[in-house]
Amino acid sequence: MTSTAAAGISAEGATGALVASVQNLSIHFKTKAGMVHAVDDVSFDIRDGETLGLVGETGCGKSVTARSFMRLVASPPGVYAGGKIDFWSSEARAAGGGPVNLLTIADDEMLEIRGNRIAMIFQDPGKALNPALTIGNQLAEVFYQHRSDELLEPLGPNAPVIIRRAAKQESGKIERVLLKLPPLRSKAAKVREEVDDHVAAALAETQIPNPRKIMDRYPHELSGGMKQRVLIAQALACNPDLLIADEPTTALDVTIQAKILKLIGELQQRRRTSVLYISHDLSLVREISDRVAVMYAGRIAEIGRTDDVFRQPLHPYTRSLMAAVPSSRNKRGELAAIEGNVPELIDPEPSCRFHTRCPYAAGVCGEVDPRFLRHDFEHGVACHIYDEPAELGIRPDELPSYERKTR
Amino acid sequence: MADIVQPRPVLPPASGALTVRLRRLGEVTVQTLRNPVTVIGLVIIVLMFAMALLAPALTTPNEPNPYQMPRDWTALNEPPGTPGHPLGTTAHGGDVLYGVIWGSRTSLWLSIIVVAATVTIGTIVGSLAGFIGGKIDEILMRVVDVFLAIPELIFALAIAAVLGPSFSNIILALAIVYWVKYARIIRGQIIHVKQNEYVDSARVIGDTKFRIYLKDVLPNSITPVMVQATMDMGAIVLVGATLSFIGLSEAGLAEWGVLVSEGQVGISTGRWWASTFPGLMIFLWALAFNLVGDGLRDVLDPRTESR
Amino acid sequence: MQIRDYLIRRLMVLPILLIGVSIIVFALTRVGGSPIGIYMSHEMTPEEVEELEDRYGLNDPLPVQYFAWAGGVLRGDLGWSGVAVAPVTQVFRGKLAATMELATAAGLVAVTLGITLGTFAGSRRDRLPDHLTRVFSVSGSSMPDFWFAIVLLIVFWVYLGWFPVGRSDPAIWASIAHPTGLYTIDSLMAGSWQAFRDAIWHLVLPAITLGLATTAIITRMMRSSLVEELNEDYVDAARAKGLPERLVLKRHARRNALIPTMTVIGLSFGFLLQGTVVVEIIYQWPGLGRWLADAVLRGDQATIMAYVLFTSVLFLTVNLAVDIIYAYLDRRVVLGS
Repeated sequence: MTSTAAAGISAEGATGALVASVQNLSIHFKTKAGMVHAVDDVSFDIRDGETLGLVGETGCGKSVTARSFMRLVASPPGVYAGGKIDFWSSEARAAGGGPVNLLTIADDEMLEIRGNRIAMIFQDPGKALNPALTIGNQLAEVFYQHRSDELLEPLGPNAPVIIRRAAKQESGKIERVLLKLPPLRSKAAKVREEVDDHVAAALAETQIPNPRKIMDRYPHELSGGMKQRVLIAQALACNPDLLIADEPTTALDVTIQAKILKLIGELQQRRRTSVLYISHDLSLVREISDRVAVMYAGRIAEIGRTDDVFRQPLHPYTRSLMAAVPSSRNKRGELAAIEGNVPELIDPEPSCRFHTRCPYAAGVCGEVDPRFLRHDFEHGVACHIYDEPAELGIRPDELPSYERKTR
Repeated sequence: MADIVQPRPVLPPASGALTVRLRRLGEVTVQTLRNPVTVIGLVIIVLMFAMALLAPALTTPNEPNPYQMPRDWTALNEPPGTPGHPLGTTAHGGDVLYGVIWGSRTSLWLSIIVVAATVTIGTIVGSLAGFIGGKIDEILMRVVDVFLAIPELIFALAIAAVLGPSFSNIILALAIVYWVKYARIIRGQIIHVKQNEYVDSARVIGDTKFRIYLKDVLPNSITPVMVQATMDMGAIVLVGATLSFIGLSEAGLAEWGVLVSEGQVGISTGRWWASTFPGLMIFLWALAFNLVGDGLRDVLDPRTESR
Repeated sequence: MQIRDYLIRRLMVLPILLIGVSIIVFALTRVGGSPIGIYMSHEMTPEEVEELEDRYGLNDPLPVQYFAWAGGVLRGDLGWSGVAVAPVTQVFRGKLAATMELATAAGLVAVTLGITLGTFAGSRRDRLPDHLTRVFSVSGSSMPDFWFAIVLLIVFWVYLGWFPVGRSDPAIWASIAHPTGLYTIDSLMAGSWQAFRDAIWHLVLPAITLGLATTAIITRMMRSSLVEELNEDYVDAARAKGLPERLVLKRHARRNALIPTMTVIGLSFGFLLQGTVVVEIIYQWPGLGRWLADAVLRGDQATIMAYVLFTSVLFLTVNLAVDIIYAYLDRRVVLGS
């Protein structure tokens, strides 16, 4: 069993180019009680066109990990404590260029990427939409921000500067007043028509009936499922390379859930978008992911092809999750309680974070951080059970094993 | 918005245990003191109170009524810094420092009497409304709403004007105007307690309504009442000074508002001190109580993140 | 809808409250001084006085007196102002414009300054600008307006001589027509730059003084609602779209934060009105407030009572209007479903 970073696993078995590579990402939060290690030394890859599921209980750090792709973690109290996230946009790949580190690029570069190359859909569609703006306005923002050149095309090469600035959403108060005056008004209207066409098209793609009418509605007038479609339309508006879906169906009815999932799947296939799908719902993740990463208490416990992980879970945590999943007759694959609690992540000692709840934990589990090990071609796990006693400096009988239940 | 927003009790149902209550008091004190701004307010208050209480010692009290500004015809309009009059004198020869010090005493009287009266009246009315409920509650709450419909300053002004200009009438007027908020607080607490389960269980045990009232309602009401009272200590002096300034108090009284008003005449000729120093004291007094009230509210009712 | 029922209830309670206020005012007129005095002018003959006593039921039991008085009020008879030597209603109409102009100017100052400062502080939460703004707003709320006015006068009028006292320079005032009674508007209508400048210059100090407390309140409210909005998901969602922070702040967070602030702005109307009393005294502004102050000094009860009625009615209606508007906005803005 060789040790290697989780990223290494993917690279060796890579069947396609990489879209993103998270390497040793650590994000901590400064609190009065100490530094909370919300995300510690997390590594995984996302390949072009694949759906990677990121599973874990509430509070395991999956949301924070997802948000750090676009630097959306609130900066006090959040602190980027190490690692990087490499990202290859489709242009970069086409040009044969290298990745950018999402954590260190300049702010204006990041603005270019957000909503454009990487997009995100949030958990509660009701809260992710601004209640005071119409659907159309909110979607239009994305086009104005990233596709202003397309919008200006109908005006030809000599569009006045003030209109250009308006299309890029850079107008000041005075400019906005001027735009209401006749000579500029018609030009501005043309741009607005272009935007409306784009918005309607985006909405239509997500199978929203009557896009033109919906555009004039406010969020509270729509149902939960509709709102999520709107958000998906918004996210995919600029054809991003990576879509981050943070539990997009958790707040929806089960019947709507299925439809939304299907929609995401279709759109993804059509556009070859890579998806990072975050969820606490195992059965759901199993359905839609090509590969899955299991996260626990800020760390990756196991990662591999979905079928492999589900058929042969390596990590004790993954195993107990599988056991906790109710039969297919139950509606939701919610995680039933595993005995014990997620540990406090404040200035943690080196140890396996799961050891207090692990039925097979041995002494070493409470003293040494488990290394990430490659068990199989594409299947990796961070657990002492799979390690060599010699590497850990212990006797063979001190190594934890599935043969020996300790509690 | 009479009925929609009722202040919620913040402390859990206070058990009768005195030690629990005292410990909670200690916690609250410590947490309040953590906020440096609140501490500043407290320091100012302590200094003001000290000044008020020690007034007879800090100055030679005026005879026969120390609350009247002394008049010294030989020392009219002296600027600050003249020997014997560090803050200058007024147009009547009164020592501004004397006015500042004795004014704190007047303000202390005013605020304490009014707050005590208003809390009492409010508690009684609120308790009646809450306990008896039904029609009485409706009527009393309408009365409260009517009182709240009239802007406070105007109301107090009208009452004081009708009663005649005097310091005691100002006290009376303010008491009449400011009791309503306490009635609402107490009534709200009673209603909340009524709706709570543990009252039912207490009834099972056999407590009478009155005992419930003493053991549960009153202790839980202390916190919002305390916050309101602190804010009122500042507001009352502010409004009282305004009323005095407008002329509803007694001429020559050693009261900050009166002093500011009487000091106005010298302004156009550049005699700024007679109005500025007493006015500064009003400001500091109100500021101090506002700061402490804010700090208290942050600690006791952290749901509003106004910090 | 729960909110609509609440509003309808408020609307129905309004007449009761108005009656309640009138009862209080009535009680005040009976308590102090002569109830008939409010109606008497110095030039009435004894027969006219007797007729007054009859009309207002001075010799009848109290409830009858109340209805007589209330009837008079509704007919527009608020008594005679000894101070202004004219019927109260007439004086009101004459002086209303001056006070409205002042209150509006102060309100504009308070709203623009308050929203700006509140946004400034809320977007930089817990950092220096936020702390400084907090100091400012607490001070503003604790400041005795008459003292502030005096200090401003001492600095800007006595020592620096930048701004004048009063409402206008009499010569310039006389040089233009006054169709609306609002100096600023009238001067613009007359096309007189000199008069306009005169109007503004006289407005500066009083408007700042009057607006200070309101600015403080609006600043605080704006700040705290902005902080709340910035915690909402849609703000992060907006950032995730690639919008620059200034757009996120202005178009998303601030717009929603303004809604609760609107209620405070509406309510502050009442505070502005109260403040005019003192401010007009000090700056010698010929409006309702100064008239009231004179009335207090000279025992002109008719004026005082009329003032109480006026401000209460205004207060009640403005509060109710604010609640209605807010409920309307809130319905559109209902978060989630």
